[in-house]
Amino acid sequence: MGWLRCYFNTFCLGGAALCWLFFSTLVAAPFLLLCADKTGTRVRKFVFFQSRGIMRFMRWASSGWQVQTAPVPAGSRVIVANHASALDLYTVSLFGFDNVVYVTKEWVFRLPFFGYIMRAAGYIDAGHTTPQEMLSRCQEAVKNGCDIVFFPQGSRKDPQARFKSGAFYLAEQLHLPVVPLAIAGTQQMLPVGQWHIKPARIVLKLFPAVYPQDFTGPLGHLHMAQSVKKQIMSFVNKENNA
Amino acid sequence: MITREEIIKHTNEALEKEFEFRAEQLVPSARLRDDLGLDSLDALDMVVVLEQQFGVTLRQGYDLRTIITLEDLYNFIEKIAREHNK
Repeated sequence: MGWLRCYFNTFCLGGAALCWLFFSTLVAAPFLLLCADKTGTRVRKFVFFQSRGIMRFMRWASSGWQVQTAPVPAGSRVIVANHASALDLYTVSLFGFDNVVYVTKEWVFRLPFFGYIMRAAGYIDAGHTTPQEMLSRCQEAVKNGCDIVFFPQGSRKDPQARFKSGAFYLAEQLHLPVVPLAIAGTQQMLPVGQWHIKPARIVLKLFPAVYPQDFTGPLGHLHMAQSVKKQIMSFVNKENNA
Repeated sequence: MITREEIIKHTNEALEKEFEFRAEQLVPSARLRDDLGLDSLDALDMVVVLEQQFGVTLRQGYDLRTIITLEDLYNFIEKIAREHNK
């Protein structure tokens, strides 16, 4: 029966999710173009709405579903999460973060259709920006009331990879709290390089914010990255082995 | 005077501790950017880590862009340590 569920997930739910992404964009695109605002806020809100839809399909495809939330500080925040599956991108929406700027790799911007939306939403291409440019783009996003989302492992290939310190350096420079998000189960549901959606138990946990001022010294951001990684990965590894 | 073996040992120890590399990744021919995945901010962090490890200043008066591999890094630290001891 496992294979039947896998086929149902892939062809019915996966297909429906792709149709949802495609047709909702098709319907919304003219309105977004007509009512475009300079900051891209409307596009980001639309992406939030789309992501909530994807989360619904993901929930149906899962064999278990658990969302653990925590109070988050007001104002802009840097959200950091582990990254092992393409599905991770949509999980941020579950916690009500509806105005977020993702910092992603440059190849994602070359995707037809999605690349256009990402540019319109003001997402930041990490491959083509220097640390200084990144800082000023993020500063601008914070001025527009956005949260900034990073996947500090940079790639889905190694789920245990170290957390690069860029996101934490940025939080330190802009005096923003860091909100860690642990994502467990998406790697089993849709692993890298595969397109079969397997039923898996999904557990998402938002941790209380961590503050840059608690990590002092010239390597404070590096130590914050290590500490947040430890917090996230110990939870993810425990859930994945449960 | 610190020996080359000590430089290699201390450098690798610092990189393993602060950047979570495994010992087998730290071969002299490993390229810092392409093989070890260090980006521009990591490079700055690495300089601070090595300054703390060896008690020398690496940031001023040197062109760090010429350091491509770990071997280059060992040579660079050896040169600085020699100058420091003069």
